[in-house]
Amino acid sequence: MAATRAEWTKLWSVRSTWWCLGSAAALMLGQSALTAISESADSSATAIAVEGVFYLVQFVVLALATLTMAGEYSTGSIRSTLQWVPVRRRVPAAKCAVLAPTLFALGTVLAAAAVAVIVPLQPERAPDVSGGEVLRTALAVGGYCALLGMLTVGIAAALRSVAGALTVTFLLLLVAPVLAGGMGLMAIVDYLPGVAGTNVMLGEGAPSLLTGAPVPYSEFVGFAVLVAWTAVALAVGDALLRRRDA
Amino acid sequence: MITLRALTKRYGDKTVVDDLTFDVEPGTVTGFLGPNGAGKSTTMRMVLGLDHPTSGQALVGGRTYASLRHPLREVGALLDAKALHPGRTAEKNLLAMAHSNDVDPARVGEVLERVGLAEAARRRTGTFSLGMSQRLGIAGALLGDPGVLMFDEPVNGLDPDGVLWIRQLLRSLAAEGRTVLVSSHLMSELQLSADRLVVIGKGRLLADAALDEFIAGHGTSTVHVRLPAAGDRRVLADRLGERGAEVELPADGELVVHGMSAERVGDAAHALGLRLHGLTTRSASLEQAYLELTAGTVEYGAAESVGV
Repeated sequence: MAATRAEWTKLWSVRSTWWCLGSAAALMLGQSALTAISESADSSATAIAVEGVFYLVQFVVLALATLTMAGEYSTGSIRSTLQWVPVRRRVPAAKCAVLAPTLFALGTVLAAAAVAVIVPLQPERAPDVSGGEVLRTALAVGGYCALLGMLTVGIAAALRSVAGALTVTFLLLLVAPVLAGGMGLMAIVDYLPGVAGTNVMLGEGAPSLLTGAPVPYSEFVGFAVLVAWTAVALAVGDALLRRRDA
Repeated sequence: MITLRALTKRYGDKTVVDDLTFDVEPGTVTGFLGPNGAGKSTTMRMVLGLDHPTSGQALVGGRTYASLRHPLREVGALLDAKALHPGRTAEKNLLAMAHSNDVDPARVGEVLERVGLAEAARRRTGTFSLGMSQRLGIAGALLGDPGVLMFDEPVNGLDPDGVLWIRQLLRSLAAEGRTVLVSSHLMSELQLSADRLVVIGKGRLLADAALDEFIAGHGTSTVHVRLPAAGDRRVLADRLGERGAEVELPADGELVVHGMSAERVGDAAHALGLRLHGLTTRSASLEQAYLELTAGTVEYGAAESVGV
């Protein structure tokens, strides 16, 4: 708990956090508005919002989570952090405890705000957006952002480098599905975190933004897949963090 | 109280800390001395649980650092003053630190005041000079009001005022009954502030003694005698030798006497009716004693230049 309070203070006392959140909002709302007015659009408002998260906001989430964990290695502050909190498991745990609610709130609010921007710009489509669907999408986007942040904390703790963690997470989310898909390994593609995450946000049966085809499982299974990836990344990061010298 | 027992750290086949055993007692300032690369920082890092020992133990109050419930309230340390996020203010940095160990946030202002950084509390630490960063690091060490303090090369980057301030701070912390371990690669720095010296070289313990014992053991003085007549040198050397002194006859015409005071040497010369042109006592400085002690253990010494 004490470690979490420390991480909370740390998160909000650097400018990069505010830059990340501000740029996420600007990117999301700008993209939503532009898509809504430009597209002859057969996408629903919630689908446009999810595209905004998938193509833009998730990279800001990635950046924030990477800076929070791997950034400690580039500034050297990890040595201070581990001196304050020598039980090492508590460090990534505290970072997750701070990032997860922040990113959940970010995703939920941005998804809802995006829909609020899109709907008035698409008067002819308004009737097919139900309040329930907006709520479901907003919660799913929040959940995706929170889990992606924690997944990145695990990878960043393992790699100890901002550039390395960004690259690996980017490859895992976007490049791995394309590569595996090219090799015809669809059974693997469907269970990669980026694909599972999109499924969670778009809802059951919707074609994935990465593969163009729907995944063969429900959004709840998709959520479980994402949780499993996050758990593995955190377990690896934690094991390496505890074993290594700081 | 810091207790090291056969503490050893190896990286591959390189032994950085080699079987170190010593205690750092409360109420005293213990100087931790050794050339650069001797293993001082690694030792301190192992005490803080930042580096894992290959074997042996480093304990604080009989426990490992990681098992302390609120480590910052028991051990304060300044290891690397620049190990901070440069974009965070001094105050927020200390506030996060206080939160991490349930330390009263009011302490933040108190320690900033104590190290003279109250004015700079809201400045980002990336704009700090090395001296200011050192002060902030010391503020952090004091934050939890700990009974054990470790400072790694604390005077680095400080101006003469700052150096004096550190000395007084170390003395007062020890006077309050705290355990104080302060490292340096310069004898002259510790000579003035330490009660006890632990000297290491290439990771091995070279000396562990009270400062005055160390001086008595290593700071030997010699008496240098100049005589105008060359033949008299021999006569005086023989007489002093009979009285138990060790005498050297270097080529420059002087006589160097070990183990006898200048007064006794002068009296002996007088009794023999010899004319003297000089009689001086030279104390080998502690710096010299330290250099001799650590000679051969210097990790990154300059190669001796070879004349062409």
